[in-house]
Amino acid sequence: MSAVKRRYERIYLNLVYRTMSSPTADYTLRTYYRQEFDRLRGEFEANGSGESSVRDRTAVVDKLALQLWEQHVVARAHSGFALAALGGFGRRALFPYSDVDLLFLAENEALRASMKEPVRSICQEMWDIGLRVSPTTRTLDDCARFDQDNVEFTISMLDCRFLAGDEALFKRLSEKVLPQLVARESDVLVQRLAEVTRTRHLRFANTTFHLEPNLKDGPGGLRDSHVSQWLGVIAALDPGRRQPESLSLQHGSEGKELLDAIEFLSATRCYLHYRAKRDENVISWEAQDELAAKGIATKSGTISSAEWMRLYFRHARTNYRNTNQLLEQVPGSRSSLYRSFQRWRSRVSNEEFSVVDGRVYLQQAVGARDPFVVLRLFTFMARHGVALSLETERRIKNASRALTDAMPQDARMWEHLRELLALPHAAEALRLMHSLNLLTHAVPEFEAIDSLVLRDLYHRYTVDEHSFLAIEVLHRLKNKDVEWLQPFGELLSELERPELLFLALLLHDTGKGLAGTDHVHNSLQLAAAAVERMGLPAGDEQTVCFLIAAHLEMSSTLRRRDIYDPETVRELASKVGTTERLKMLTLLTLADIKSVNPEALTPWKAENLWRLYAGTANYFDRSVDEERFHAEVCTEQVERVAALLPKRRSQLLKFLDGLPQRYLMSHSPDQVILHFEMASQLRKEPVQLGVRRVSGQHELTVVTTDRAGLFSTLAGILYGWGMDITKASAFSNRAGVIVDSFYFKDRFHTLELNPPERERFKKSVIEILMHEAPLDPLLESRLKADTKPAKLKVETKLRYDDESSPSSTLLEVITQDRPGLLYTISSTLANENCSIEVALIDTEGAVAHDVFYLTRDRMKLAREQQRAIEWALTTELSDSLPNNW
Amino acid sequence: MTKLEAVIQPSKFEDVKDALLEIGVEGMTVTEVRGHGRQKGHTEFYRGREYTVDVLPKVKIEAVLPDRLVDPAIQAITNAARTGKIGDGKIFLSRIDDAIRIRNDERGETAL
Repeated sequence: MSAVKRRYERIYLNLVYRTMSSPTADYTLRTYYRQEFDRLRGEFEANGSGESSVRDRTAVVDKLALQLWEQHVVARAHSGFALAALGGFGRRALFPYSDVDLLFLAENEALRASMKEPVRSICQEMWDIGLRVSPTTRTLDDCARFDQDNVEFTISMLDCRFLAGDEALFKRLSEKVLPQLVARESDVLVQRLAEVTRTRHLRFANTTFHLEPNLKDGPGGLRDSHVSQWLGVIAALDPGRRQPESLSLQHGSEGKELLDAIEFLSATRCYLHYRAKRDENVISWEAQDELAAKGIATKSGTISSAEWMRLYFRHARTNYRNTNQLLEQVPGSRSSLYRSFQRWRSRVSNEEFSVVDGRVYLQQAVGARDPFVVLRLFTFMARHGVALSLETERRIKNASRALTDAMPQDARMWEHLRELLALPHAAEALRLMHSLNLLTHAVPEFEAIDSLVLRDLYHRYTVDEHSFLAIEVLHRLKNKDVEWLQPFGELLSELERPELLFLALLLHDTGKGLAGTDHVHNSLQLAAAAVERMGLPAGDEQTVCFLIAAHLEMSSTLRRRDIYDPETVRELASKVGTTERLKMLTLLTLADIKSVNPEALTPWKAENLWRLYAGTANYFDRSVDEERFHAEVCTEQVERVAALLPKRRSQLLKFLDGLPQRYLMSHSPDQVILHFEMASQLRKEPVQLGVRRVSGQHELTVVTTDRAGLFSTLAGILYGWGMDITKASAFSNRAGVIVDSFYFKDRFHTLELNPPERERFKKSVIEILMHEAPLDPLLESRLKADTKPAKLKVETKLRYDDESSPSSTLLEVITQDRPGLLYTISSTLANENCSIEVALIDTEGAVAHDVFYLTRDRMKLAREQQRAIEWALTTELSDSLPNNW
Repeated sequence: MTKLEAVIQPSKFEDVKDALLEIGVEGMTVTEVRGHGRQKGHTEFYRGREYTVDVLPKVKIEAVLPDRLVDPAIQAITNAARTGKIGDGKIFLSRIDDAIRIRNDERGETAL
């Protein structure tokens, strides 16, 4: 049909409406609506404008409503009755298949009752025309009444618009009743609106980044822009309420950004409605392809589906941030405790950042141009969980060019990132960095997965959001709010270097953004480049790369292998190598599964993962002397070490001969070389010592020739000096050279505060080991000092295992940690003439967990020897508890 | 029609699923379950804590089959899930009177 013909037909129909009163009117109106609907659809297909499409449909429905009003009401009531539009109809934003919300406003009950029939007729005819009508009839008094259980009606009135009837009556509603109601109930209204919105966001896991997003109700969807408008209207109607700070109220580029977002979402929603011929709001994969191919809402015509979705996420993110900024200013139904907390948070302000009402500001505006200040700002947010103020966000956006040009990508970046990643609100800070386009400049490898949609039925979020969620999942374990996840929370607290795990999570799927089917290989390539550029130490680099290379290993084992089969456990253990790596891989697997979709990690899967972890961890503890290094069979690890000393390869292999594989797994090549050099000096000095600081603790390494009671003497010396041993290991090679390592906390800061004490400490260790000084005086003075009671009581458990090792009896000791514990245990074992072949000492909070590989006269322990040791240990461990323990 | 319920080792699920698809079993319901038969449980230790594993993780597959597919399905499952050890699982069969496809009211085998 030509445009001219359509125009004439509209003129004709308009004339008909003015005069029609016959029973055929409904047929004519239906034809009119269908033709107008087709015209609007044609215009949308031609110009792609969502805003004009919804505005024009509103105008068409306005006309129909007016016509029906004239037909059914005018003859019966001239005053005291009015028709108003509500919801999207009231906002003049009627999408093609949206409901038409109508308010029939009566001055009193009598009028309401008498107009029942005309109202029914209007609604019936609108249905017949093809409009989904949602009517409500209220008196003015009804509207003035605030119903706690139906706050939605009051909110819907915020959009009301006069259509027909008694305009003076409507003005009483819009200019008197409604403002008074809002002014009186604004706190409850705002709180309820915030609650409903937060609940809605939670239904979508508080993220815009769904693979098939809902553009109406999802976070960042059109409903969010309505919430912003309503909050603005409430603030305008309530003189006592401060106008909220938001993008929507900003002028210039930020306000335009939001308007662009709303136009994008509107155009997309129009398309979805026309496409599905119903009120469809989910952007399915098929719809994404069509939207991209037709260039809907784009300024550049046809683009790829991935590019179109990036546009969508950018606009949705803008809308979501705006709504969140407004919601954060709503105190809601928070308790006074929460408000006190908000005030408390302001006390975290420092010389660089101030916190006001839970929002962080730069103390110096110029800081927004300094990437290091901005990185510290994100670290500050990750630590305290505070939101960014709009003002600071604007400053950062304005300085975007300067920031990205000067953003460090080397070791200085890792200095910031390592701190940020391990903080409780790291995921929120990373998301914000990403939305401000800074993360991809800090870690360019992340750009490959920016808003990347990968289509499968299992994943629900984009790849970047999946990575942020995985980091969030691990941090939330600390909340201990899910019972079946608590063992994993404990595991996380035991990690020595959690930041390496978090970095691996950030990068583990970056390879999905590259071409090819092996995303693990691609991610590994990208991660290797990232960790090298950021200058991570060699050992840390290897750990991150290992975690990424193996990130599907445990999932695959759970799916494909019998986790109770010892061979499954042995294979996994040989791939993982150390308990620390096993803990990290377990947590990475858990986070990776849980962040795929909210239902992906069931208690059943988590339990199986835990059993696989526990079985493998036990295997590590029980298999140490089963797998010893033999000089004639070189492993990859040995070759890596030997490559560092090519000229002394044979001496190195001799040193390593007979050491457990675990020794090689748990020490870096540099450490092994250091121990080898120490062993080479034993002819000159029979006791070689090394003391260094590691991750906030001290490490004492002793290399010497084995002798009776050596391990317990070392434990005693450390106790005598007031040190708290948290971890220890004892290994020996075939030639009888021992490598004992103790990690300890300097309880009284003796070594930290008095540098000369460091040398005195080393001298003391050597003199006692060489029998040049006695141990007892050192111990006696310490025993008198340590009488502090424990906060938590742990029952002592002793367990023997004769099966796991071919040559030793394993003794597992679980007991209350206390000063001098390791000395108590090891000296008791020495008194029972036991030789400690291997010792694995660990402490988790108040619980000590020690495993000893014991022999007596180079044999496993006989039953009666085991019983004697058990009795002696039980007695000693009971006696060694200070009073009140 | 026959309803088949197979309780198998989780590690064998992928193989069993593939085997069933290969013989033409198009629909199945899969549930993560725990249980034990003769396998019973055992006790495990981790860091001194004792875990009694009296019910073990299993996967339950349910499918309603036309009678011609019952024997091939049993064969496919046993071939794919058998290791020869205790704990491989069990298959249960029961008669089904009728089936109705909710979408279009089709009944009997055509609804499967």
